[in-house]
Amino acid sequence: MSAAVQQQRKSFNLFSPFWFWIGFLGIVILIGLYATFLIMTKGLVVTNLTDLTPWGLWIILDLSCIGLGAGAFSISAITYILGQDQFKRLARVAVFIGILGYSGALMALFFDIGRPDRFWHGWVFWNVHSMLWEVTMCITLYFTVLTFEVFPMVVELPFLKRFTWLQNFAHRVHDYTPVLAIVGLGLSLLHQSSLGGTYGVVVGRAALFRATMPILFIVSAVAGGISFTVFITLVVQWIGKRTLVSNNALFAAGQISGAILLLYLYMRFWDTTAGNYGYVPGRSEAFTTLSSGTYAVTFWTWEIFLGGLLAAILLIRARFRQNILLLLIGSGLAAIGLVANRWHTTLLAFTEPLSENPPMTDPLVGSYTPAWTEWAITFMVISILAMIFSLGIKFLPAFRDMSEQTEAAH
Amino acid sequence: MSEHTKDEHAPQGEQIPQSEPAPSGGPTQQGPTRELDRREFVRLIAGLGISAAAAGWVWSAFLAHNDPAEEVNGHGEGPYWVMVIDLEACIGCERCVYACQATNDTDSEHRWNILLTDEETFGQPVFITRPCMHCEHAPCVEVCPVAATYHREDGLVMMDYQRCIGCRYCMVACPYGVRVFNWDDREDETDNEMVPTWGTPEINRRPRGVAEKCTFCSQRIDLAYETGLRPGYDRAVTPACVNICPTEARRFGDLNDPESPVSRAMKGRQAVVLRENLGTHPRVYYLLPEAEEGEEA
Repeated sequence: MSAAVQQQRKSFNLFSPFWFWIGFLGIVILIGLYATFLIMTKGLVVTNLTDLTPWGLWIILDLSCIGLGAGAFSISAITYILGQDQFKRLARVAVFIGILGYSGALMALFFDIGRPDRFWHGWVFWNVHSMLWEVTMCITLYFTVLTFEVFPMVVELPFLKRFTWLQNFAHRVHDYTPVLAIVGLGLSLLHQSSLGGTYGVVVGRAALFRATMPILFIVSAVAGGISFTVFITLVVQWIGKRTLVSNNALFAAGQISGAILLLYLYMRFWDTTAGNYGYVPGRSEAFTTLSSGTYAVTFWTWEIFLGGLLAAILLIRARFRQNILLLLIGSGLAAIGLVANRWHTTLLAFTEPLSENPPMTDPLVGSYTPAWTEWAITFMVISILAMIFSLGIKFLPAFRDMSEQTEAAH
Repeated sequence: MSEHTKDEHAPQGEQIPQSEPAPSGGPTQQGPTRELDRREFVRLIAGLGISAAAAGWVWSAFLAHNDPAEEVNGHGEGPYWVMVIDLEACIGCERCVYACQATNDTDSEHRWNILLTDEETFGQPVFITRPCMHCEHAPCVEVCPVAATYHREDGLVMMDYQRCIGCRYCMVACPYGVRVFNWDDREDETDNEMVPTWGTPEINRRPRGVAEKCTFCSQRIDLAYETGLRPGYDRAVTPACVNICPTEARRFGDLNDPESPVSRAMKGRQAVVLRENLGTHPRVYYLLPEAEEGEEA
């Protein structure tokens, strides 16, 4: 107990690396706030988005945040539905990452839509036929689930201890964790896939119009999401010099995500091979752009070899995975592979001419490089998430060092 | 695992028989193979029923868009508004582009009606002007999360600028690239260089942050319903791009009326729609040039 108190006191030294890190994030956030001011006063004209490339960096950020947040539902499901209690502590980290990831996605969307003042229209005016309607509903509901899952961790904070009604409510909520895991699994199985479906149903763009999109999205999200949770846990343990999760749980989680990553690569292989078997107008051009054109270097390097195959090998082979450094590299690469995939999928959609049918030959093709405002807001969102995460992982009692905390009553 | 989880584990236990024998302690016993008591059973059935009803409602609403036999406004009841563009007559003068920009007060960088040139297919330049196709199975209408773009009763695809949230999914979904976005604030400016030479604005500028597109000059078609004038015959209720065309390459009217300008223009000509394979059923028909390819006159 006295050790914990000392730990708390020590952390309030404002000249520690921790607070420099928080200060650095604060500066990035300030730059982003200036970009926010520009966006809100001048509109999306200050971005590099155009009529022909209407979606860009913020949509990639949104998709990446949700994909990397998939560890929350996956690890919760493994822990509470399959009853694998050794993942309980990892699930807690995953849920914390998850709620931050979904907050980031909501922030990205808030900036991306042309009318942020009408963000609530999605809940009031329904078009149940729209994939985005489904995504809106599911993300809202799942965000609520995540809030309930994180709530008991937050009320453990010392200064909230005296509100007994809050404590009692948190205990009741905590008892429902397995229920929340089931609801979260259901909602995630819907929206992680329908985010892929958002692209998959676009009949006019052959590069996207594939029934495999929803499946590829969810499978890659589970692999990337679990990997990202493992990666962040390892980073926190390394920098903070403490133990959040037992090594065995991390090894096992790495193995699961490696296996799922391999499954994803297999599915991706056949999707690409069968989908480009003959000449498909639009799709073949897009695949050429991806595999030997503009995106060839990043595609082969980050999405396929490093973020796909190497990550899968490092995670699957026990000798590699049980080396903490290789586990760190493997899980980090898998997460990067997921982001690269979302990046390529989004931008590839707009490299394909819309006019490949007989009469028109003028290519209506966009080109896109994100503007500084887009980068500034992207880094602001990431910094906000990193700041809350850093503070939370440092001060929330749920993330105390394993040696200090005995698993009581959970 | 605490006692509050029993409701969720009970149905699972029922579906997946487990090898362990059930504890003999009676209905209040907890465990994976415990029997359901009556109240739990009723609750389970009610829950399933409500879920099934909700899912059924969503599913039926979902399918309402997908019936291939059901056209939004089929040939038969009411007017069937179409635009016919004769590729042989079009000289690429862009007057329809200017008239549209003036009448609908669009930005010159984000026009509703544009000119595309095909230099190759027919050996000589063919000019293709492209308005909104007003598809019967419109991808934009299907994907809009807030139903801000919709089919109105006569089948035209409209925009509700007050509802649009500016997510731009419609622009991703449109196979023809007809949709443009209000990236900038234009409401208070007077910078339309096409006014007054090519026309006068008839509608308000759209607010910043919403998507927009060609409406077939719906304000004029609305006027037709009020006055009884006939689009295609009477200039006051015919789209601006059609009125201004010096070669009568563009015509507008009711395809259900055999005497309408569109019906007469299509007689004996080979008409195509853009990207027919997508099944969008556009309301804009292009008449192919006759001379080079030897199609029947």
